[in-house]
Amino acid sequence: MRALNRLFARIRNFATRRQGDKRFREEIEQHIAIQANENMRAGMPPEEAVRQARIKLGSIEAIREQYHQEEGLPVLESLLQDARFAIRQMRKSPGFALVAVLTMMLGIGAPTATFTIVYATLIRSLPYPEADRIVRIHDVRLQGRSTGGLVGVPRFFDLVARSKSFASAGFFYFEDTTLITGTQLPAAVKGAGVNAGFWRVFGVNPLLGRTFGKKDDQPNAPMVAVLSYAAWQHIFGGDSDVIGRQVTIEQQSTTIIGVMPKEFSVPAGIDLWRPAQFAPGSWTWRGEGSRFINVVARLAPGVSLESAQSDLRLIGERLRHEHADTDGLWQFESVGMRDDLYGELKPAILVLFIASGFLLLVACINVANLMLARATAREREVALRRALGASERRIQLQFLTEATLLAIAGGLAGLVLTFLLVRGLGAKLPGRLGMAGFVDMNWPVMVFAVGLAVACGIGFGLAPALRNRGSALNLDLKRNDLQVAGRARGGARNAFISIQVAISLVLLVGASLLGESLWNLLKSPLGFIPEHVLTFRLVLPWNSKPDATRNFYADVQRHLETLPGVIAVGQASALPTEDWHARGTFDADWLPRTDHHDAVNAEVRAISGDFLHALGTPLLVGRALIPGDGVSTPVRVVVNHRFALQYLPVGNLIGRHISNDTGSMEIVGVIADVRGTGGSIAGEIGPEVYFSADGAYPNTRRTFLVRTQVPPEQLVNAIREQIHQIDPHQAIAGVATMDELLGKAVAQPRLNMALITAFALLTLMLACVGIYGVVAWTVAQRIREIGVRMALGATRSQISLFFLGRSLRAAVWGTLVGTLAALLLTRFLRSQLYGVTANNPWVYAISIPLLLVPVFVATLRPALRAATVNPVDALRTE
Amino acid sequence: MPNEMKGKKDVHQGTLALMVLKTIDVLGPLHGYAIARRIEQISGDLLSVNQGTLYPVLLRLEQEGAISSDWATSENNRRARFYRLTRSGHKLLESEKRDWEQTAAIIARFFEVRAEDLA
Repeated sequence: MRALNRLFARIRNFATRRQGDKRFREEIEQHIAIQANENMRAGMPPEEAVRQARIKLGSIEAIREQYHQEEGLPVLESLLQDARFAIRQMRKSPGFALVAVLTMMLGIGAPTATFTIVYATLIRSLPYPEADRIVRIHDVRLQGRSTGGLVGVPRFFDLVARSKSFASAGFFYFEDTTLITGTQLPAAVKGAGVNAGFWRVFGVNPLLGRTFGKKDDQPNAPMVAVLSYAAWQHIFGGDSDVIGRQVTIEQQSTTIIGVMPKEFSVPAGIDLWRPAQFAPGSWTWRGEGSRFINVVARLAPGVSLESAQSDLRLIGERLRHEHADTDGLWQFESVGMRDDLYGELKPAILVLFIASGFLLLVACINVANLMLARATAREREVALRRALGASERRIQLQFLTEATLLAIAGGLAGLVLTFLLVRGLGAKLPGRLGMAGFVDMNWPVMVFAVGLAVACGIGFGLAPALRNRGSALNLDLKRNDLQVAGRARGGARNAFISIQVAISLVLLVGASLLGESLWNLLKSPLGFIPEHVLTFRLVLPWNSKPDATRNFYADVQRHLETLPGVIAVGQASALPTEDWHARGTFDADWLPRTDHHDAVNAEVRAISGDFLHALGTPLLVGRALIPGDGVSTPVRVVVNHRFALQYLPVGNLIGRHISNDTGSMEIVGVIADVRGTGGSIAGEIGPEVYFSADGAYPNTRRTFLVRTQVPPEQLVNAIREQIHQIDPHQAIAGVATMDELLGKAVAQPRLNMALITAFALLTLMLACVGIYGVVAWTVAQRIREIGVRMALGATRSQISLFFLGRSLRAAVWGTLVGTLAALLLTRFLRSQLYGVTANNPWVYAISIPLLLVPVFVATLRPALRAATVNPVDALRTE
Repeated sequence: MPNEMKGKKDVHQGTLALMVLKTIDVLGPLHGYAIARRIEQISGDLLSVNQGTLYPVLLRLEQEGAISSDWATSENNRRARFYRLTRSGHKLLESEKRDWEQTAAIIARFFEVRAEDLA
């Protein structure tokens, strides 16, 4: 308490800059006067009395010093003094300060900008209470491909009935649908069907109204909907009277009962949630094609993810026995919500973070070098101050203060840079990262930047601080006289050159690998022609009559085909690059049937119209689907090339049959492999079967592909009008060109490549500037030595070669170390590479010259300048 | 610190603070000179307070809240800063006194110990 009181008093004095000096002087004067008085009374003459009084008091200056130390915060005061001194120093050499601050701006800005992403994805907790208790449950095939983790409804209800590990379990599935408010045109909205448990899993309270409970989720209960914040703003203008409004969704009268807060967006980008109204008994089909819900669950109190997982395993095992035909190959896997969302991004993000750290390291080395150079130039100043009584600690502290100030200035500049980047580019990040406010400036980011700056400041401040330690004072003071070879600090500087070269090489190799991957990704045959294709989606209510559905889509097809500028129109259940899954298993008439192991497992797509021409996919064998192929007996299908390779490598597939519970299908054609089915453009292509979308149960949700002669965007309005003419209740959704979709699919690798390349180039630039600086400085330091050498007969080229050789030796060492490091480190890139191996020699063959040429140029200039030294002048240099 | 006055003991800062507190406690509000003088008198000139060092101690005690000070007029009509004990100063004095007496008692006992007592 007393210590606290005292500290407060000190802080108060320090803050108010209160100087007790006046009070002290007055008190002392009084003291002396009284003492002198007494002395006089004792018979001393006045002058002697005062003198004796002063002697008795002791050294006033020493007391005053003590008094002053007692009064304020001496440590802070000397720190401020150092800071003022440092600022004066910087003003005296603004060039040095500017270079240092700019370097640190890049050095701090790059990791900070990356950290905004790291923080948003890997550190910040998800916006739900106890978010680490929420898991995703995937249904995973023991062999072969799964359906993106989707679960079938019967299996979900089995899971809920048997598991004791979860406090609540929920699901959601996507339903693109049409919302009619009555006052506006029909709006295509992204809906999600969810159960009542879904809300309990996330535990987020609505902004307005309520979410729905068990009662709303009963079959045939009155339909209700909860709006997302974005939909509430866009469609209803943020009207708070929206609660209780009647609207039509999926041609069903629906009451709006709630609005969720802005942060709640599960699944991402959804407009509204509706109760699924599934009952445990209402779904019986549990085979292939029944999986369409995403399952989430909240762990029960005290249950760990591991024990929940073993619980799930057990349930899966029992279901495998009970429903061997349909569930025999499946098991449940749980994964934490964060890992589910960002697990895939994690390696890429970490690679970026490490790369930005390398950039920072090079920046720090540069600034440390600058500081060292200046410290050498200030050797005499330091020696003088030490001779005047400054302690070593005091001087080290002063160097540290200077360095930290520089670093903080750089860090603040870096923060500004990050701020500009986040504002300018944040919304352009791919996928979830680009959502408004997802990547943002916030206090953890600022703390990170400032902390990093201080740590760097201390780091490179220590170099010059330690450098001056224990040097002999008298030598330092006389240094000018013996400035010939300099000290043996050259070793450290050469090491710096090596490290910078090595780091630059690692980054260049990484950038080249990612660049080549992206190139491969974009340039290897896609199986379709993305240019000049407009795509959009139409969704009829799921319970529309088959005839009506077939007729509607045939109408649309005809109308669009007649539009001027249209080459071909096709329809499909899902587009390449779309994260959409449907798989089927089949028996094949040419393959033996084994129990529980279906002969054929393939991705299933439904197509209509002139799908092949619209997408630009070549037909390889046989014929394409024609109208009527969906309702013929047997129905006719086409398969992709991969299907043929896998299931009948030799022989002719045409005319052969596959079959499942719904009947037999005849293969009439083989088409080229299309990449991007199921979403990932980099994924391996699997077997695919294409049905007609106009079968007995025609697809109600279809994506149209319109291949055009004119720029596809020009057709959007004409298409909208056509659809409106055919059915005024329909709205087109998801309008995008195939090029855009492809761009989105490669946005993440493109971003990685762009950032790593930017980091690599910046690092290389910094390294070159740094190496140039080091060599130039060495030359300047050794100018008298050069003079001596020349006077002794060294030729100009010998002098140049001497400097060039020393630096290049260091660079070659750096290249060797960098090559080794790159070979080790690029292993972490492996998951992000496509069509190129991590230790591809060509990448090194390109990267090394790309690195050494600028380094050589940076070394050459100062080395050549060394040769232009006039020996007479050099020897006279002080 | 130069130690010209051999034979006289230098005063430790903490001890000095305790003496200051006790002096003000006994004599009431005093100015710096008077405090220094009393300490000198009581210690029978055995202690030489390098008188000036009193002032940093006074400042410190004041910042700790043990004493407070104000300008007032001294006995011979001089303006001087008078120091008085605060309530927390009083408590501080009491507890310091107890500590001191305890320490002194313990040390005293150690000095009384003879070899045979420990046998």
